Amino acid sequence: MTHDTLQGQFVNLRPLNVADAALTLDWRRAARARFLNAGAASVEQQAAWIAARPASEYNYIIELKNGHAIGMLSLTGIDRANRHGEPGRFLIGDEAAAQGVPAAVEAMKLLYELAFDQLELVRVCGIVAANNTLMVKWQKFMGMQEEGRLRNHLCQDGAFHDAVFLGLLVEDYRKVTLPRMKLLIAAAQPKK
Amino acid sequence: MLNQDAVHAIILQALNNINDERGPDEQLVISLDTRLFGADAVLDSLSLVSVIVDVEAAISDASGREISLTDDRAMSQAVSPFTDVNALTAYILLLLSEAA
Repeated sequence: MTHDTLQGQFVNLRPLNVADAALTLDWRRAARARFLNAGAASVEQQAAWIAARPASEYNYIIELKNGHAIGMLSLTGIDRANRHGEPGRFLIGDEAAAQGVPAAVEAMKLLYELAFDQLELVRVCGIVAANNTLMVKWQKFMGMQEEGRLRNHLCQDGAFHDAVFLGLLVEDYRKVTLPRMKLLIAAAQPKK
Repeated sequence: MLNQDAVHAIILQALNNINDERGPDEQLVISLDTRLFGADAVLDSLSLVSVIVDVEAAISDASGREISLTDDRAMSQAVSPFTDVNALTAYILLLLSEAA
């Protein structure tokens, strides 16, 4: 099953497909992807991993409106009964192309609209490496709250690190997250 | 009250904090004219949020006053506060002068 492309003002989220294997593997090998879980070792493995994604997952490529792919983002672990899910696999792979563009914030806004408006989830949650300070700061600014700390939960380069467990409720999304997202998107637009 | 130099230093430190998270070949070139966000800017939205959070915290620590850089008023300014370091400095000094 292929999900629809989610259309934004600056970026779209289009479904990840096998043809993205080489590009996404390249991103995952970059230094800025060090906080993601270790992934495939070859393009073939990456293609196989993409092909094996279940329809219950929403895996996207973040692309600029001109079609240039700059990153990836997913919504997984969707529990329809308890109405929660997990945003993740969030990576801006082409950072230069994202400079000055509210790509990360609009991509996450589109994903949250999917989660809270279309799928009617009441909560999204997940872990972030505690030493990924930029992402922890960003998620908290966007309304997520720290709900716990998992000690030595992640192994990076042979060393164990804590993970921070973050959660966002739908009411906080509407009250805090959405206004801040709209503001940051507006900040990128030239004054008329 | 904080003066222009002090606010400049706080913003530049927030930008340096981003460089601390980057590799040697990904360092931002930082100056008072550094364009923060929008066309030809050096920050993506992830880094801009880091600057906002760090600056708000540092201003609060240094002045004892809470300011918000992300409300409707910030967006209604004729020149966006996030245009460059000087524009952000001017907006912060405006907020601090009113709060005094």
